Amino acid sequence: MRDKLLIVEDLWKFIDGKPILRGVAFEINEGETKVILGPSGAGKSTLLRCINLLVMPDKGKIIFDGEDILGKRDIHSVRSKIGFVFQHFNLFSHMTALENVMFGLIKVKKMSKNEAEKKAKGALAAVGITEELWDKYPAQLSGGQQQRVAIARALAMEPKLILFDEPTSALDPELIWEVLNVMERLAKARMTMIVVTHEIGFAMRVADEVMFLDNGVILEKGAPEQVILNPRNERVKRFMDRMKYVYSIGKGNVY
Amino acid sequence: MISELLYIISKYGPLLLEGLKTTFIITLISYFIGFVGGISIAITRTFLHKALKVFAHIYVELFRGTPMLVQLFFVYYALPEMGIRFDPILSSIIAIGLNSAAYQSEYIRSALSSIPYAEIEAAYSIGLTRFGAMLYIALPQAVRIAIPTLTNEAIYLFKYSSIAYFVTAPELMYMGKLVATQTFLYVEVYTVLAIIYVIFSIVLSGIARYIEKKLQIPGYIV
Repeated sequence: MRDKLLIVEDLWKFIDGKPILRGVAFEINEGETKVILGPSGAGKSTLLRCINLLVMPDKGKIIFDGEDILGKRDIHSVRSKIGFVFQHFNLFSHMTALENVMFGLIKVKKMSKNEAEKKAKGALAAVGITEELWDKYPAQLSGGQQQRVAIARALAMEPKLILFDEPTSALDPELIWEVLNVMERLAKARMTMIVVTHEIGFAMRVADEVMFLDNGVILEKGAPEQVILNPRNERVKRFMDRMKYVYSIGKGNVY
Repeated sequence: MISELLYIISKYGPLLLEGLKTTFIITLISYFIGFVGGISIAITRTFLHKALKVFAHIYVELFRGTPMLVQLFFVYYALPEMGIRFDPILSSIIAIGLNSAAYQSEYIRSALSSIPYAEIEAAYSIGLTRFGAMLYIALPQAVRIAIPTLTNEAIYLFKYSSIAYFVTAPELMYMGKLVATQTFLYVEVYTVLAIIYVIFSIVLSGIARYIEKKLQIPGYIV
């Protein structure tokens, strides 16, 4: 029980009366990497957004780091302990790469400017953003560089958990590699991560557990080899066969 | 005509400059009041509590929906009946500033609503409050977007501060009228005034373009 970082129990979310999440439940241990797969509209993004309270769930329990965060008034301090990496990077467009990373350290963690700068530079270096890019604005960076700055922005806050919402879906293949590589290194360093992605290759290599979400329900969860290569559920099997076809893994049957 | 113009400039130049100075004072201070007020109203209407929103909305409709001259007369002639008295220049500054706040708030509000929500959400995700996200993420970008319309407002105020003439504030228009009645050179005097107004309007828009360039975000097209 002690090293359970996050426990989600019977989570429900309705949007315009439509159920988006229908009783989702799972747990994640410290240092674990969990990958969530599933079709568009399955509720994957909503689930991630519920975990850091960008979206308020309607029913259920989220216990993060031993605390029931749905009952808490101070949601800002909860969010500052949970990193979030967005599909479209969402960097602050009027700040340089370095300022983007320093921003939270100064305004939320109340660090001095010098301290924040040192820490931000460390975080940028850790994701492979070299010095000549520090003073560039987001619009001057490639997608892969922007996403790595976004990861550095999350990382610098020293979160206990980082949520990735399709971090590579807006990127070219070569840039996808850049970002996945950084994420794989994070996973190896035992950062606790929940990753929503379509990169099943990444899931196979890095995930401790894979969950398949469809229609707001977890249809299957287990080791990546099992869920991706030998799913039991028919819906999951159909999805994986198509994924294997797209990513040229094994002999995918196309329906 | 030319000799009359030169005559006016040489003889009454200092007087007109005195008026221009007052025009600048009225314009600058009322613009500043309008800018600060406008930002506060825009923030209130975009980010803050319901009751305050309604209040801010009523303010905007009230000051946008009545002529500036009526507002000026209200401040200068009606308030003294309630025991609140301001001199002509201060009355003009107050009336024009309050009026401008209503307009500027709309410029900034429309710019605020054009800021991608994604960036606000990113600010929330690292633990910022609603107010913090607004202050550090939305506002700096909104002001940049609104610069052209805010410049428009500055030029507008520069010219329309001439309504201060009606409450005898000694600004450019007032001085011009004084010179005109003394010399009977109405056409020439008002020509000089027009030239002064147009020159400084152009200067103002030049300054605004410079600020716009300075604040531009590299690689970003606005």
